[in-house]
Amino acid sequence: MFQSPPNVAKTIQITFEEKTYQVAPAQTVAAALMGEGHLMLRKSLVSGETRAAFCMMGICFDCLLEIDGQPNQQSCMIQVREGMNIQRQLKKGECA
Amino acid sequence: MSLPQYDYVIIGAGPAGMAAAVEARQHGLNVLVLDEQPAVGGQIYRNIEDLEEQRPDEFQKLGADYQEAFELAQRFRASGAEYRPGRSIWQIDPDLTLYHIGQDGGPSETCHAQRILIATGAMERPMPFPGWTLPGVLACTAADVLYKSSGLLPRGEIVLLGSGPLLLLIACRLLDAGVKIAAYLDTNPHLAPFQALPYLPKALRGHEYLRKGIAMLWQMFTSGAKVHLGVTGLEADGEGHLQKVRFQQGSAPWKELPADLLLLHHGVVPNIQITRQLGCEHTWYEKQRYWEPVLDQWGNTSIENVAVAGDSGRVCGSANSVLTGRLAALETARALGKIDLAQQTALAAPLLKKQDQELAIRPFLDTLFPPRHPWLVPKNEETLVCRCEEVRVREIRDAVRLGALSPDRVKPMVRCGMGPCQARMCGLTVSEIIADERQVSPADVGYFRVRSPIKPVTLGQLTGVE
Amino acid sequence: MNTMKADVVVIGGGVIGAAVAYGLAEQKASVVMLDREDFQLTASRGNFGLVWLQGKGHGMPRYAQWSQEATELWSTFAEKLEDQTGIPQYYHRTGGFEICVGEEEYSKRSKFLEEMRTQSLTGTYNCEMISRDELQSMIPKLPLGPMVSGASFCPHDGFANPLHLLRALHQAFTQLKGQFFPSADVQTIEYNNDGFLIQTNTTRFSTRKLVIASGLATTKLSALVGIKVPVRPQRGQVLVTEKTDHLFPFATGRIRQNADGSFMFGASHEEVGYDLGTTNGVLQDIANHALAVFPTLKNLQLIRSWGSLRVLTPDQKPVYVESQSCPGAFAVTSHSGVSLASIHSSYLVDWILSGQTQPMFEVFDSARFDVPVAA
Repeated sequence: MFQSPPNVAKTIQITFEEKTYQVAPAQTVAAALMGEGHLMLRKSLVSGETRAAFCMMGICFDCLLEIDGQPNQQSCMIQVREGMNIQRQLKKGECA
Repeated sequence: MSLPQYDYVIIGAGPAGMAAAVEARQHGLNVLVLDEQPAVGGQIYRNIEDLEEQRPDEFQKLGADYQEAFELAQRFRASGAEYRPGRSIWQIDPDLTLYHIGQDGGPSETCHAQRILIATGAMERPMPFPGWTLPGVLACTAADVLYKSSGLLPRGEIVLLGSGPLLLLIACRLLDAGVKIAAYLDTNPHLAPFQALPYLPKALRGHEYLRKGIAMLWQMFTSGAKVHLGVTGLEADGEGHLQKVRFQQGSAPWKELPADLLLLHHGVVPNIQITRQLGCEHTWYEKQRYWEPVLDQWGNTSIENVAVAGDSGRVCGSANSVLTGRLAALETARALGKIDLAQQTALAAPLLKKQDQELAIRPFLDTLFPPRHPWLVPKNEETLVCRCEEVRVREIRDAVRLGALSPDRVKPMVRCGMGPCQARMCGLTVSEIIADERQVSPADVGYFRVRSPIKPVTLGQLTGVE
Repeated sequence: MNTMKADVVVIGGGVIGAAVAYGLAEQKASVVMLDREDFQLTASRGNFGLVWLQGKGHGMPRYAQWSQEATELWSTFAEKLEDQTGIPQYYHRTGGFEICVGEEEYSKRSKFLEEMRTQSLTGTYNCEMISRDELQSMIPKLPLGPMVSGASFCPHDGFANPLHLLRALHQAFTQLKGQFFPSADVQTIEYNNDGFLIQTNTTRFSTRKLVIASGLATTKLSALVGIKVPVRPQRGQVLVTEKTDHLFPFATGRIRQNADGSFMFGASHEEVGYDLGTTNGVLQDIANHALAVFPTLKNLQLIRSWGSLRVLTPDQKPVYVESQSCPGAFAVTSHSGVSLASIHSSYLVDWILSGQTQPMFEVFDSARFDVPVAA
């Protein structure tokens, strides 16, 4: 869906779903993952339907990921850091 | 505990915020700029410093206004304003104490301002239709952000949906970068150009914008993308992610297109989360169907010492944002005794004159690209309106029929607006649906009460527990 | 202007007015329910959702018993509402705690329970102190903070979803042919031998019976029919978090977890008039208590907060009273609208429709506030 630019120095290593990736620095987690071909980021807690980043500017809260153990982080607002461990949120809650 | 004190706290480091900071520093004010993004530029000039430095070829392609914005960013960097990127405001108290957190999960910080400038810009107007939550459906500005900040370009079957200058601009930027656009679905009604004609003479004063607009249209129409005009209905479909879209023009039969990526745009609207939380008075701007804070010519809101500049007031573009930012800073310099009224008036005169020119095209554009049904109130009653809590059009209409006549009454009935986005993505649509069901204007229906926290904050951050 | 006739007009569309109106409509009465435009003042909007017994009725044993009866009725009440509307109530009678932080709170709570036991009409009081270890063993997923000394535990306590309750009452009321006027501000009430003539900004209503369940407007409206009911606002602030794993199947008066996984934390007691705002200091106090009890929740994100106004009588206990000068006019107020919803839609309806009262019902009369001030 998205294509990374050629000739970019991928100097940062992150782990996503137990797999490691080399990515370019100075970009957000959501952008880095989309550049690696990961569009779907989570499942809705209400219906369990798949969701992905929508606005990329901190408005929609659809790009939520578990980052370094902390769930529901806005991945379009957080810059990649060396050694970052990222997980999808796939649980569906029973909802009131 | 003594709080860090500032004369002027500016929220947002886009064109308005940067210009205000530069102006305020020239008059000797002690300025703090808090911005949610990691770098200056706002959404429009996102990542501008890196672009200029690391991708000079692409930077050149972005045009002359980028050069100007880059120079503004440099002046801002040199201005002596304290700049804190990556900070989100989660509350502002009535005494102008601000609470902000970083994206790193660190402790919340607090400071106090004599005066506050809210320059938080605009956001995409929600454009709900069946399937708009599927992965692969994005706001068109999201594609722009991905390109500017990470150099990512969309690939596959790319479909654009909507109307307005920003959609065209982003489409042309993608075309310039070599992206192939499969289809451009224009939702503008056929009548709009004729309705906009009376505003054309005044708009010609902003002829540079018109020339650009026509050039963009030409580029789009000759790009090889299939252009479909007057689109009135859309459904996105796919297993787990977008695979196809169906669209309708008027009463014609539905047509289907394969799609990997669908980029949406239904105009942008002011981001009013902070002005609402503060309790500033807002009014309904009928022409573009959004809420905006009530402002005077200096950007002052109904709340003392709180002002707004740029597109978080009324959406008028980046050049006007720079001017409103400077005007607001002059008002603050006067209010804090750095200049007198005569100096303020003299310094403001050329800015106001320039603003008059800048705004000349707005009535034309606002009429040429009106937000329209069915994109305001989805026809399909099963369409999700609140993406967080997954509330559908039908449920909101049912709540209205049970007597919930305002967003604050509908909210506890069906949960719309109760999720983490705090109604940013559904607020306008909820107002529109209630108004439609009651056959009144959204102005009579009102908007959600916005409360702290404006952004999620952990219990530990709230209490200062590490 | 049209005049609409009804058997009963209920003024107030909050959880109390709606429970009474729903109960009346169930008894085949033709019922009109009125609510004012300004929803912000409605206490039901901000309710914490406890169906609660422990600690209630100190100084008025009949109220303790009344709360107990309401709790007993809640399961069937909830099931009936769910059947009628399809709206789940999420009523869980799990038992509830008041968790004590520090030894002093523990001994104060023990003394309080002893007093409740002594004054009880039946001589028993079904609430006991449990140790820190017992508490921890009941909630293994949530490590207690070091200062937690124990808790009181009442097996009858529980919670429901207060917003679902309000919505279900409204929907059931409408299904039973009740008529709701959501923006009818009452201007005047006239009384004559035929009953009451109620003038609102849009419509006039004629009725034999009138129930004033108008929250903070109860004092003003009751005065129009010769009833004295003093009420005052008291602000409570509440925090709601993101949805998380199910960790806490019980509730405390200040902490509970919703069916959707979000935690709710309350509740402050502030005398600030009609100010509906939230304040950072109070939100911090609430969060501090939550973390003192459950420190591992510190990384949980808050996503909403609100302030809303409780409706308090001088002794904080319910008032149920019929007018002496205008018979057929009733005033109903309580700050336990959710806990008592079951009894408000049943016993109270019998009283309003047929004058049939429960034993010792007169203790709820507002005459109890007419004590002459000592010279």
